[in-house]
Amino acid sequence: MDRRDAVKSVAFLIGGALSATTIATLFDSCTQPGKNSENLFTEDQEKLVTEIADIILPTTAKSPGAKAAAVGPFITMMIKDCYPEEAQKAFVKGLEALEESAKKDYSKSFLEIGVKEREILLRKVREATISSQKKESEEIAEAQKLEETKAQQQSAKENMDNPMAMKEKPAKKPQFFAIARDLTILGFFTSEIGATKAYEYIAIPGKYDGDYKMKPGQRLFV
Amino acid sequence: MNLNTKATAQNTYDAIVVGSGISGGWAAMDLTKKGLKVLMLERGRNIEHIKDYTTAMKKPWEFEHRGKLTEEQKRTHPVQKRDYPYTEFNESFWVNDLDCPYTEVKRFDWYRGFHVGGKSLMWGRQSYRLSDLNFSENAKDGHGIDWPIRYKDIAPWYDYAEKFAGISGQVENYPHFPDGQFLPPMDLNVVEKSVKKRIEDHFKRARIMTIGRVANLTVEHGGRGNCQYRNLCSRGCPFGAYFSTQSATLPAAVATGNLTLRPFSYVTEVLHDKESQKATGVRIIDTETNETMEFFAKIIFVNGSTLATTQILLSSTSEAHPNGLGNASGELGRNLMDHHFRCGASGEAEGFEDKYIFGKRANGIYIPRYRNIGNDKRDYLRGFGFQGGANRSNSHTGIAEMDFGGDFKDLISTPGKWNMNLGGFGETLPNRENKVTLDRSKKDKWGQPVIAIDCQFGDNEFKMRKDMMDDAAEMLEIAGMKNIKTFDNGSAPGMAIHEMGTARMGNDPKTSVLNKWNQMHEVKNVFVTDGSCMPSIACQNPSLTFMALTARAADYAVSELKKGNI
Repeated sequence: MDRRDAVKSVAFLIGGALSATTIATLFDSCTQPGKNSENLFTEDQEKLVTEIADIILPTTAKSPGAKAAAVGPFITMMIKDCYPEEAQKAFVKGLEALEESAKKDYSKSFLEIGVKEREILLRKVREATISSQKKESEEIAEAQKLEETKAQQQSAKENMDNPMAMKEKPAKKPQFFAIARDLTILGFFTSEIGATKAYEYIAIPGKYDGDYKMKPGQRLFV
Repeated sequence: MNLNTKATAQNTYDAIVVGSGISGGWAAMDLTKKGLKVLMLERGRNIEHIKDYTTAMKKPWEFEHRGKLTEEQKRTHPVQKRDYPYTEFNESFWVNDLDCPYTEVKRFDWYRGFHVGGKSLMWGRQSYRLSDLNFSENAKDGHGIDWPIRYKDIAPWYDYAEKFAGISGQVENYPHFPDGQFLPPMDLNVVEKSVKKRIEDHFKRARIMTIGRVANLTVEHGGRGNCQYRNLCSRGCPFGAYFSTQSATLPAAVATGNLTLRPFSYVTEVLHDKESQKATGVRIIDTETNETMEFFAKIIFVNGSTLATTQILLSSTSEAHPNGLGNASGELGRNLMDHHFRCGASGEAEGFEDKYIFGKRANGIYIPRYRNIGNDKRDYLRGFGFQGGANRSNSHTGIAEMDFGGDFKDLISTPGKWNMNLGGFGETLPNRENKVTLDRSKKDKWGQPVIAIDCQFGDNEFKMRKDMMDDAAEMLEIAGMKNIKTFDNGSAPGMAIHEMGTARMGNDPKTSVLNKWNQMHEVKNVFVTDGSCMPSIACQNPSLTFMALTARAADYAVSELKKGNI
């Protein structure tokens, strides 16, 4: 049983008396940043992240891509600084699995295969991620339904007392591809290249025009 | 008493103001303008206007984590991180929760900033008057106690507050939604204009939608620059374009030559003299040196923000006030309220694909309360207002889940769907059982006992939320929106950062802490004019009311002082 389940069942045993906050606080203590953050990635894995980001948001006729915007180093830094150990591990594991599948399908490192092959591999990871998340959501929904029924039987009154309690979002398993994609999009569109060449960055608009006529090739203002 | 008279003289002022946020800054301004020598105490560091808004002009790519929190920040800010305001963009404006813990008997989110200006630097700036509907409802339905004032008592002070602070807004002449002294309104965008027209036509102006009344300047005002439409207010405004202590009240107070501002001064207690039955001053901890000091004055304004003020007053015990200063009624710490929100609906607007928005408006729309007014009777009491607006996002129809690649990138670089959302802000009934007490079993970084907060929303609020969702969806439907979705993300007390009510005003000293002048019934030279004074909270954003009540109380305090009554 992992820590989250343990805490939940404790809460259940004492009649749900632990507040959402207490439970959240207990959870928080399990989300320390990884101890070996500094050496989380090998040099090759750092290169791999750069290439993955550039497949997710490549250079197009309209604007440079993730590699030009140095999104790779941004992603590895973010994983080290802003993600709990569990997600860090899942991310590294995802990189390893991707490398393995490149070797299996093409007998080469991901770094040595062409853009097309890289895209095919990432499409596969994407599909697997979608179906795994879907399955997880169904399981969570199922578990919640069960828990709600139990809770209704056990403490209908308690629910009545606090009907607006914050619904705790069930923690979902960190998914390598989802993290990589999220961080690529964040890193790219907030980079100088992304914000000024893909989007149109205006530091000081100075006015508000809520009836602005779209220009041909209109980009998002940020 | 064995006083060191020399030190006392050095540490003596006409008035002490505890706290430097919206109401404290205002008290300091008005008291100094009336000629009093004022000491304003602030527990946190100083933040100098413009110079110390260190992130205000940063570009997105100059933030290492692009606004996200590190695991270390999440660890040291377990409360602040619970909701959206605490980010890398203004990280230093929020407290380290580990330094200043409190006990949550039930979940209560306490968002705080320890620095000169307090939450006036990060506030949402929505500024609405309360009306006689709000001032009379406690008496009418029997929840809480009657307000000791009515609209006519505060109206001139709203005028004064709006004129000085600079509130932009639209005159609407709509019942129970008093107009004010507004700067020109900000514009509604093309979708909002359409939504407004369809709602107002359908309901024949029984419901209206107006631009938010906001403490952002649409024209230069009082030597401050106008809004530049960056929507980065919460980092501090280098143009001084929104009301804060730093941009508005502090410079006015400093200009009088009568203000002493002392940061790093954590007020732990208001000192009381049993013989004169007056407060004599305050005790502080210098948070840099940990030294304890005392300051003295004829008048004390306590403006620490609702919960901090409550903590100070509960800690100010003496033989005459064993349960906290001015707490013979037992109401100090009780009747804690916050708005409940995070509930409403959103939809997509079609037919405006050729239109976009230039500039980022730090403001939205407002739909004032229409429920339980006139012949409208619901299965709950009081009501709610809506805030929201229309915007064009980078979300497009027909994008596959978790898509990626060049076409995807080019598509999400362009304006996507128009989205219109409405989120309700609901009134919460006053309830004695929602309370704050001292928890002496736990100490903060400075060795002071912490507060325990025991507060939850009730059945009335819960029932109201159904209307908040359904009405929002109905109005979006009427406005022609598509793909309408309702939402209720749950609301924990404290999240709206509109905590109020723990030292309420009232006519009867047996049931209230303050009189109609925000003056303590029992200690005539102590005034409390932050959110703790509110006998009810209506559904409007409250800070403008704190400004008006503060100005009114300061005027009264000085006139009483001159008459020799305090």
